[in-house]
Amino acid sequence: MSSAVLEKENAVALKKPKEIKLDIGTKTALIISVLLLLLMVVFPLLNILTRASEGTGLEVFSNVLKSAITRKIILNTIVLGVVVATLGTIIGFFLAYAQVKLNFRGKKLLHIIALVPLITPPFAFATAVISLFGRSGIITRDILGLTPTLYGLPGLTIVLSCSFFPVAYMSILGMMRNLDPALDEASASMGASKLRTFFKVTFPMLIPGFASSFLLLFVEASADLANPLVIGGDFTVLSSRAYIAINGEYDVPAGSAYSLILLVPGLIVFLVQRYWGQRKSVVSVTGKPTGTPTFIENKVAKFFLLFIPVFIASFIVLIYATVIFGSFAKFLGVDNSVTLDNYRYIFSGVGYDAIIKTSMMALIATPIAGLLGMVLAWLIVRKVRRGREFIDFLGMLGLAVPGTVLGIGFAITFNDVIKIGDTTVLPQLAGGGAIFGGAVAIVMVYTIRSSPAGQRSGIAALQQINPAIDEASASLGASGFRTFRKITLPLIRPALLTGLMFAFAHSMTTLSPIIFITTPETPIMTQKILAEVDSGRFGNAFAFCTLLIFIVLTVMALINLSVRGKSTNTANTPIVRA
Amino acid sequence: MDQIMKDSSSSSNLQLRNLSKVFGQGNGKVTAVDSINLDINPGEFITFLGPSGCGKTTTLRMIAGFETPTAGSIMLDGQDMSALTPDKRPMGMVFQSYALFPHMSVYENVAYGPKTKKMPSAQVKTEVEAVLDSMSLTALANRSPNQLSGGQQQRVALARAMVMRPRVLLFDEPLSNLDAKLRAQMRIEIREVQQRLGITSIFVTHDQDEAMSISDRIVVMRNSKIEQVGLPAEIYLRPASVFVADFIGISNFLEVASVEASSAGLAKVAVLGKEIDVPAHEDALTTKSILLVRPESIRVKRVQGSNQTIAGTQGRVKQVVFYGEHVEYRIETELGIIIAVASDPIFEEIVKVGEFAEFSFDPMRSWLLPADTH
Ligand SMILES: Nc1ncnc2c1ncn2[C@@H]1O[C@H](COP(=O)(O)OP(=O)(O)O)[C@@H](O)[C@H]1O
Ligand SMILES: [Mg+2]
Repeated sequence: MSSAVLEKENAVALKKPKEIKLDIGTKTALIISVLLLLLMVVFPLLNILTRASEGTGLEVFSNVLKSAITRKIILNTIVLGVVVATLGTIIGFFLAYAQVKLNFRGKKLLHIIALVPLITPPFAFATAVISLFGRSGIITRDILGLTPTLYGLPGLTIVLSCSFFPVAYMSILGMMRNLDPALDEASASMGASKLRTFFKVTFPMLIPGFASSFLLLFVEASADLANPLVIGGDFTVLSSRAYIAINGEYDVPAGSAYSLILLVPGLIVFLVQRYWGQRKSVVSVTGKPTGTPTFIENKVAKFFLLFIPVFIASFIVLIYATVIFGSFAKFLGVDNSVTLDNYRYIFSGVGYDAIIKTSMMALIATPIAGLLGMVLAWLIVRKVRRGREFIDFLGMLGLAVPGTVLGIGFAITFNDVIKIGDTTVLPQLAGGGAIFGGAVAIVMVYTIRSSPAGQRSGIAALQQINPAIDEASASLGASGFRTFRKITLPLIRPALLTGLMFAFAHSMTTLSPIIFITTPETPIMTQKILAEVDSGRFGNAFAFCTLLIFIVLTVMALINLSVRGKSTNTANTPIVRA
Repeated sequence: MDQIMKDSSSSSNLQLRNLSKVFGQGNGKVTAVDSINLDINPGEFITFLGPSGCGKTTTLRMIAGFETPTAGSIMLDGQDMSALTPDKRPMGMVFQSYALFPHMSVYENVAYGPKTKKMPSAQVKTEVEAVLDSMSLTALANRSPNQLSGGQQQRVALARAMVMRPRVLLFDEPLSNLDAKLRAQMRIEIREVQQRLGITSIFVTHDQDEAMSISDRIVVMRNSKIEQVGLPAEIYLRPASVFVADFIGISNFLEVASVEASSAGLAKVAVLGKEIDVPAHEDALTTKSILLVRPESIRVKRVQGSNQTIAGTQGRVKQVVFYGEHVEYRIETELGIIIAVASDPIFEEIVKVGEFAEFSFDPMRSWLLPADTH
């Protein structure tokens, strides 16, 4: 290298090079997504903060220290969260363990049954459990001659554990499947027994999975609104208290304040979870397990390990049977004669309207949520370097925030026109008199509650894809956006599918955020079910639930067909070695 | 096709000026590339060679546009590349993992670039078919990448980059996932295609044989810096430093007693009790220096009779490894262990372990270079 050449060029070389810019398509996607998130989550939350600091809201806060009643409500919420999180995680673990480590007939079926609660409408469990095990329950009174009190913590524990354990099941299952069987083999080859291998090798590696399941369940259970309303009795929790404040006492500041307290554990857990997630180094997802999985063959061990899974599965089947049978009964447990009256009632009245409108709004929200989730995942994993953490946080916030909180936030934010200075930037989106009868706000809630699931599965899928594939596309001249459409999206199609199905099921079955913004023009199925349950017409509630499940399953099947049908399914073809 | 042919027939030159890359900040700072300067000539095949972690990949990725340089510039035919995103740079890249699109057939993989460029579909077809044909991939056109062997995937990756007629082709250890035999075959294939089209190419590897056999010039890197740039023969026979000599091939480094300038390019040194004139690096006269003798330059002969000591050019054979076409000796000498290779050996003359041997080398086959100061 001749130094004369170098010196001549130094002037040019020392200039600091420009940052490589995102292309225009990517930048647009980034800006639109962030604006959407700000509008749909951050803005409502800020409004809650403002309203909660008014008169009665501040009173609620000071009562946290002064009033025994308020403290009891908070304690109830925590107890419920802890109990359900513990039970749910244990159930989830046993089911996951059975899937991965045991060989038995009906394994697939068990898997499907374990996922069913995810698409089950709220109240289905509660009403069925009351009908079966309540004071005048078919099993408790008619068969066993007992009259237990279900209302309160016992009933909530049963119902919420059964509703939420699939979250734990899926996350632990995913983790166990990614454990390299070679680790077990290594342990066995060093002379360790199966039991020792489990406690010394498998279990420690699953601890992060347990912890994160526990936290997720804690948040879900402590924030649930539907079940405390139906089966909570006088076991008041923060979400039901906030609901009463707003819908019963018309005290918005107090409702905002209760929901803000509810937000605290959710946000803490969310942050802890994220911190945890970043240090996940224990389980290496190589996508290439090197050993052959081995199954537990010992008959006795198998029996005990299968006991809980089979019990839970039977219970879920029983609940479903009750719901479906109950929908055709005059009054389940009292008059079991078969009738179509319940369905007749629904189709003749506002029920029909609710079915159509709820489905329509969910169908509109589903693709938006799916796309938003995937775009966010793509931006986070592939495009944005600085601030990716923040965008991920914003995106997940929609689900991390309890539904009650989000609903109240939406109600106080969008029940009015939004102005900057004197110019109206957004018309009234929620409540009576809003455009499209308040449907816009409901679709927004559906979207923001569902997109995080798409975002998570999208991120997981993208992390499995070698970044060199994106780079190859770029080096062939494709813009960031073309790469997303032609390479990324097709490759994360399975994740998109999961995201879309979840989005739809979640929208159809959600209650807590919607109940605060539904209007007479936009009747919502879950809210109608609540009304039926409230007035003791369980038969109608069962019929509603059955229809809801039917719609969800049908649409999921359709999504599955339409999205999967397009993929060039070459993944399973054998590798030909030349 | 003609249009694109014209682009590539006038090959491009590439200049790196004070190119640097620092990852991270504060305590976690890693200088991956440190002020690299390099001029690559049109149509040249350049190899970046060096141990793992020395900054080869980072340099290549900065050229491709996947990493933003912390300082310095990249000029292609006099045009500054730094403002261009990877998709706007007229460069093709072949990845270590091949990075074939798993949801597309071989044909679709290769057609992806031309379609992205909005080439008319008839032309896409002819272009792609021509490239597939030239890489003997026509029969595999409808296969999915996961139905291909490693070597076939490699060829598709190359075809996919090639069809774009890039002005620069970048390779990041593209052969490291192949077995030895296929590797040797593929490097001939890559070299052939590169020469046929005259595309300026940069090839990253840590395999010296690969570098030697494929390159016009080799860039040896060490600790984020360029250690030497030269023809393969220069790198091997006239290494600029102990590091380069050591990294490429096997080296004997002999301590020399006195060094003084002799005639042009030569130095007079005292080594193993003799005074000889040896070719010398220009810095070898001014600093502490050391004499490089490659094993194949050393002749070994059994010592008969009574004078069996370790002194001067005589030593005791510690190890003999017979490879067929050559024998490798490890000889204990007054300067330590020396490795010698005798090719095409005569059976009776192979020295056995424990026997004493007289060794010698032609001074012109040795090379005096500065001792390592790192
Ligand atoms: N994205 C990155 N972030 C931080 N450090 C990096 C990154 N990429 C490379 N490095 C570091 O830069 C140095 C050079 O890496 P690399 O260019 O990959 O070396 P090579 O290809 O020669 O093996 C190494 O120390 C590596 O750890
Ligand atoms: Mg590398």
